[in-house]
Order: sequence, then structure tokens, then C-alpha cells
Amino acid sequence: MNDYSVIGRSIPRPDAWEKVVGGRGYPVNLRLPGMLHGTLLRSPHPHARIAGMDASRALALPGVKALITPADVPRIPYSATFFKPATSAAVVRDMLILDGTVRYAGQPVAAVAATTASIAEHALELIEVQYEELPAVFDPEEAMREGAPEIHAGVRHNVIGRPTYSLGDIEAGFSAADHVFEGVYETQRVHTCYMEPRVCVADADAQGRVTVYASVQHLFGLREKLAFVLGLPVSSVRAVQPPYIGGGFGGKLDLAPIEPLAALLSLRARRPVRIEQSRYEDFITSSRHPAKVYLKTGISRDGQFTARYARTLLDASAYASEAPEVIRVHSRFGLMLGYRCPNAKWEGTLVYTNNMPGGAFRGYGAPQGCFAVESQIDEICEKLGFDPVEFRLKHAPRCGDPHPSNAAWKLDSYGFDECLVRGAERFGWRSRAKAASGRGVKKRGFGMAAQPLWVSGCLGAPDTYEHSGAIVKLNTDGSADLATATIDIGSGQTAVLCQIAAEELGISVEAVRLSGGSTDTLPVDAATHASRTTYASGIAVKAAAAAAKKRLLEVAETMLEASAVDLEVREGMVRVKGASAHAVPVADVVKRAESPFVQITSKGTMQTVLAEKGTIIGTSSLAPPRNPSPASAQFIEVEVDTDTGEVRVLRAVYAHDIGRVVNLAGAEGQVEGGLQQGIGYALMENMRFEPETGACVTADFLNYKMPTAVEMPRSIESIFVETDEPSGPFGAKGLAEPCLIVPAPAIANAIYNAVGVRVRSLPITPEKILAGLGKI
Amino acid sequence: MMQLVTLEVNGEQHEIAVEADGALLAVLRDGLGLIGTKRGCDTGGCGCCTVLVDGRAVYSCMMYTLSAQGRKITTIEGLAADGKLDPLQEAFVNTGAVQCGYCTCGFIMVAKQLLSETNNPDEDAIRHAIAGNLCRCTGYHKIVEAIRLAAKGG
Ligand code: FES
Ligand code: FES
Repeated sequence: MNDYSVIGRSIPRPDAWEKVVGGRGYPVNLRLPGMLHGTLLRSPHPHARIAGMDASRALALPGVKALITPADVPRIPYSATFFKPATSAAVVRDMLILDGTVRYAGQPVAAVAATTASIAEHALELIEVQYEELPAVFDPEEAMREGAPEIHAGVRHNVIGRPTYSLGDIEAGFSAADHVFEGVYETQRVHTCYMEPRVCVADADAQGRVTVYASVQHLFGLREKLAFVLGLPVSSVRAVQPPYIGGGFGGKLDLAPIEPLAALLSLRARRPVRIEQSRYEDFITSSRHPAKVYLKTGISRDGQFTARYARTLLDASAYASEAPEVIRVHSRFGLMLGYRCPNAKWEGTLVYTNNMPGGAFRGYGAPQGCFAVESQIDEICEKLGFDPVEFRLKHAPRCGDPHPSNAAWKLDSYGFDECLVRGAERFGWRSRAKAASGRGVKKRGFGMAAQPLWVSGCLGAPDTYEHSGAIVKLNTDGSADLATATIDIGSGQTAVLCQIAAEELGISVEAVRLSGGSTDTLPVDAATHASRTTYASGIAVKAAAAAAKKRLLEVAETMLEASAVDLEVREGMVRVKGASAHAVPVADVVKRAESPFVQITSKGTMQTVLAEKGTIIGTSSLAPPRNPSPASAQFIEVEVDTDTGEVRVLRAVYAHDIGRVVNLAGAEGQVEGGLQQGIGYALMENMRFEPETGACVTADFLNYKMPTAVEMPRSIESIFVETDEPSGPFGAKGLAEPCLIVPAPAIANAIYNAVGVRVRSLPITPEKILAGLGKI
Repeated sequence: MMQLVTLEVNGEQHEIAVEADGALLAVLRDGLGLIGTKRGCDTGGCGCCTVLVDGRAVYSCMMYTLSAQGRKITTIEGLAADGKLDPLQEAFVNTGAVQCGYCTCGFIMVAKQLLSETNNPDEDAIRHAIAGNLCRCTGYHKIVEAIRLAAKGG
């Protein structure tokens, strides 16, 4: 336990009370007077030029109030990514709101707003589009061949980029190796499956200013990107913060077509326009990029890495969007930086195809790399007889080492070794049953995987927003209002940020309330992504609370006849340090500050001092000083049915260096949810497409399988290693993503341990296992 | 084609014009403003839209409004109607079973049916009862815990 009064406790999320009775606050619930229903016409073809479009019959339909075709949109190329500046050199601006060429099946080609949803649907049927079909290509290797269809004009062989990374001398490293391991590891396209559909209500006023309400992960990103694509100054867009949204996981981290289209329809109709995606539309809006990774590792006789080489082919999909950043994170945090090796080299290739868009998904490029690295380490340990825990410990960075991704920093707090050791101990790693245990057709297996290096935000990433801000305002009843532009996507900052503010202010957590605002009233904040909010927003909230407290103590000076430096706040009382009897309630101090200048009381007039007057408020807007690394280790037990090839995950132990636990129940919830997504990635989730047309055939929950409560293990244990990060708010750092990155390789390794089948492509279906067993 | 129907929802009678071939979900949300019932998919795949019809949990996106006539419909708004939370609602809050919360009401309605039929369901029974509902945030662990807690009387 720690010395804090609020930090580290399990507290119920304040928004849970509202959510269990219905949850009014979701953007999907918003209705405005006079609101129109918007809907999109989508291309059935994966690659086509729009030779002509006649929308006159649709426009003439009674009830249709606005219609947008490719001819009606600003011709401003953009990248959908929210969290990088719109004009950054680090993004590829290859999209238009509506384009004259479609590059994936389902791409929007027109939008309609009408008084009812059914009129809008009917109007779509009346739009006549002449498509001139073009040859399409779905396989990234084929897309690079001579003569393949050109997807974006001037992009030779459809190659967007060939980023590289290198360290030391790779040739020398392999020459020095006694053993060389190599393999190809493939990962599939998966969808985030947030439960609340993407929805947007845009409301243009008489002067052409657009107010927008949307289910997205980045309020200021929405404002900036929307203004940019519409050709408006940012102040002409006001994005309103919802109290919470129904999940995101990266799937709401970029501009979807519905947001600019709702805005354009509203600007035309001068009425609010609402567009809600169908689940099919959600499925084809964003996904995790599929990747093919070739990995080769050189090892010395005594088990040291001498060289690590990797090559990645990433299917960037029809538009580049997040792909350049995904592959960068993939190379650093998925492949190269986690373990020490003097010689390393990586070559990446980013290729356009006519597949549906990729995007962000919790873990952001790392799962595709971690699967390769952690599977191959298992192969190495198996072949050379090393213990997988010891082997990882041997190659892991140490606390105090230079930060592998940025030599300007050190690993000031770093508990990877403790994650491995404590995780192994809790799991019973050393005493695990002999491989392939279990009688009969069902075999037990044990596996592990790790993520030695991760992020607490984006500081250091090229051209990525990372600052946060907060406003803390004290009320005359002793409570505090906290406002930040962060979006709670289920991630729990509604609780965590209130705890941080309460701890700093010295009041109870129940006395702090997170309130809303809009881009007009709130300080700029980066997105809810990159495991950053507790750390980076937490630092901003703590700073704003500290500023409010400073003012509070100044006002209390005359009341307590002591100087502010000698005062403190504890349990809602301002008191002289060390003299707990000499105290006044926070509420009384705030009342004094807010009171009229001269009070007439029963005891006569009471003077207050001019300098004490005013709302007690603290604000902050700042970037975090560093990007400290969390670390994690996952231990998994599976049971494999050798007759059916089915895999059941029986038990999971996950250890994570979190710096400091702020809300224990919330932290466990992140890990348990991450495991669900990780098991899905490992065993069943897979977006599939019609080979001819590229149409998604898994765009609903009947065909897209993810784990239900029955497929989840009964036993999930989380271990939080507290290393007290010096730059973090009360020592905290990032949590959210590694818990989804590590399960897939840990499961693959456990399956190998159970039945001796090494599957190097995800998902590990029963067919692949049976094929490996030679049964089919 | 619109048709006038009478629906009994949360103990109240509502006379409302509905699409003859429309689903109950849209009527609850858009017609009656009962927004606690959510749409996650519209195709019977997620359970966000779960309500009780004569005490049995159904996907309201898959039920014709017309076939709900003359039956007792309970939505999340029908729990805690007297201002006091249902033990399930309390348990979901207190165990941390609510993250983004979009799936929550559907799970509570399914659990409501389970607990009306069994006093003390074991873990397998709980997991199977909620297997028709998807949650992407929690890994179901604390949802199972919440239902078990509520079964024990909070
Ligand atoms: S909305 Fe009814 S099951 Fe998904
Ligand atoms: S809490 Fe988010 S989907 Fe269940």
C-alpha cells in the first residue's frame, strides 16, 4: 500500500451509475430539433472511376433536403489521422471527402439528407452512377508487381514507402552467430468492434459555423481535421465533448467519411444532420493492417543475440491514413527495440491495395511484430534448451539504461524483470506440467510472451500531438469541477483523473466531478490513445489541481493567520502543517473567495481583502516531460483437443509495470478486456472478403467471431508492478495496450507446448492445428 | 405501412403508430425515447438491444413490434423504476463491470431473466446465459462477478 488517500483504491467509475440505468450521454442518443437523417451511397466496386452521376431524381424526392456528390466537395486532399497535424510531412494526404475514383468496395460516393431515414434510403436508390470499372488488386505482393493496377496516380508499384531501421553491423552479427533462426509470421486483418456505432450530428448555424457531436476518440483532432477538409478556419468548427462514448480501441481515431459529409449536408440544408453507421459500415471503416513479417535471428553458443534482421510487408490498404505511423511503431516497439542486440536491421514496405481502410487498433502495429518476435524466441529456447523466462531476462534492458527509442531519456522506472519473475511465480512457471500433459485427446500446454518496451503517450514520435490541459475549479460547497478535453472511451479516466485531482487537492474523490465542454471552452488535448491518458492527462490534471490549491492556500492565509507555505489540505480541511487543530474547511475558504466584498453578519460587518476575491481556479496546458516505458509479461495455459483442433484458454496471468496503480478495478478491467481482444486475435477474429469484388463477408457479428463469456478463461490474474515513475502523476505510467499485444504469441507458444504444432499465422484455427498434426 | 398498436412497456400502456414490418428496437428508442436499449448491430449478433418480453430476454432488433403486442415488455428503464437501483445495477457498478457501458444494459436484462429462474447460478450457468451478448471492454470477468454478487443478494 502507499501513503495516498485516494490513489490506488478501487473506486466505482462515476459514470457507471448513469450507464446502468440507460446511459443518456452516448453520442448515438443525441437528437436535435429539426434534425435530418443522413445516409451514404457506397460503391459496389473495389476500383472504379465515376464516369457520371445523375442525382436529379433523388433531389426531386419530397423530403430530400440536401445531397452531396463528388462535384460538391472541397478538393482538399487529407489524411484521416486525428493525432497528427493536417499538413504534417509525416502524413500522406491521399483522400478526398468524396473522390471521382473509388479504391475499395464500400467507399462512399454520395450522401443524402432527408426528413426521415426511409426517405433518405429511398433517395439513394434514385441516384444513378456510371462506374467505369478498373482492375483491382487485393494482395500486397501482387500489387507491387510490374503491370499491377495503379491505385494512386504516380505511386510506382503501389509502394508508399520503404522505411528502414539499423544498428551496428548486421553482416558481422550474423557471421558471429552459432545458430540462425528464421521464419515468416503472418497476421490477419481484424476490426476493433467498439460497440457504439460511429455516429455524427453536425449542425451548421446561419453564419456557416459548424457544431459537431461525434463518437470519436479525439475532440481536438475532430475539430482540426474537419475544419481542414472543409476549408474552414478551426474556429468555425466547434466539437462538443460527449461525457463518454461506447468504446473505440483505435477504431475512432481518424476522420470517417460521415463527419465531413454530415457537415456538408448541414451547411447545405441549414438544419442539423445526423448520420449513424450501420454495423456493416463500421466494419469497413477501419481495421488493423495485415502484415507479413520475415524474421531472422543470430544467436551465439551461450545464448546471446548477435544479429536480428526483419522485413515487413504491410498492406496499407486503399488509403495510407495511419499506415506510415503504424509501421514505424511496429518496427520499433513490435520488433527491434524490446531486447538488447548490438546488430539489428529492419526493412519495411508499405503497399497500396484495393482493400478496405486500415487504421489504428489498440497496440498500433506492435501485435504484428510481437507475434513474430515472441514466437521465434520460443522456437530458439525450445531448440537450444533455454528457459524462456531466463532468456528474456538476459536480453531485457535494465532500469537506468538509456531509453532504447530515445537516447535523451533513461529508463528511470523500469520493472520488466519484476514482471517476468512475479508473473512466473504466480503462474507456477517452474513447476508447470511437462509438455503435452493430459491423457486422451485433450492436451495441456503452457506458454509465455512479453512486451519489454512500450509507451506512455507519443512524446518523441514524429509530428504527433502530445500536450494536455485541464481546468480545476473549486465550488463553495467544497467540491471541485474538473474539465479536460480527454474522451473517456471506456478507458476509465472519468475515475482516474478525478482521483488524481482529489489526491492533489486533498479532498475526497466523491467531491471531484469531471464535467464536459467543447473545443470552444477546453484547453487542447491529444487523443485517447497510445496508453497515454493516465500519464499525460494525469500530469496536466495534477498541475491544474496544484494551481487551484495554491490559490486556495493564499486565500486561507488570513483565515488561518499563517503563510501559504505553511498550510496544507487534508481530508477537505485547510490546516497549518503539523497543527491539525488549526484548520478550516475547504468550503469556507472558497466561500470567502467568492463572497461579496463586505459581508454583513450577525456579528457586524466582516471585511475581506480585495486580493482574496475571485473564483478559485487552476489551469494547465503542457506536454509531459518524458515517455516512460511500461513493460509486461503474459503467461497462458491452454487445452488443445487433438481430435477437433479446438483450443481453450484455461488460465492467464499478466504482469505489467504500471508505475503506480491509480484505480485497481479499472486497471484490472483494462487487462481483462485486452485479453478478450488478444484471444480473439490469436484464435478466431479474421475479416474475410469476396475474392472478386473485395466485398467484406464478415461485416456482422454472426460471421465475425470474437470471444464470448464462454470462450474466455475462468481464471484471469493481473499483477501490477509499481516502480513509481518519477515523472508520472503520483508515479503512474501507461497501461492500456500491451495486454492485447502479448496474448497471441503466448497462446501460440502454449499450443506448441501442448501438441508440438508451431503455427506462424493468425488466427490459429482448428484447421491449422489439425493440419499441423497431420490429421487433415 | 404504418399501423397503430398498443404496447405495454415497463407497466405502462403506449398507443403508437409503427411500421408494420419494423423491429421493436426502433420503436423503443425512437418512438418511446427509451434509449437505454442500444443498437449494436441490428442483426441479432451483439445483445446490446436485449429487453425482457414476458420475462424472457430477447433481442429487440430481431422482434417485430407487432408480435410484442399484448405482452409485457421490460427495458432497463423498467428496473429501478421506484428510484432504487436493482441489485444487478448496483453490482455492475460496484464490481467495475461497466467500462464503456454500451453493452451493460443488455447484460443486465439477460441476467435479470437468469436470476428470476435460478437463485444461485454457478459460473458456468452465468457464462452460458450471457453468451449471446458481446462486450469488447471487460473480458466478461467482472460482469460474471457482478451477476454472482447480485445473485447472492448484493
Ligand atoms: S442490436 Fe440487436 S443483437 Fe445487436
Ligand atoms: S463495457 Fe464496453 S462493450 Fe461492454
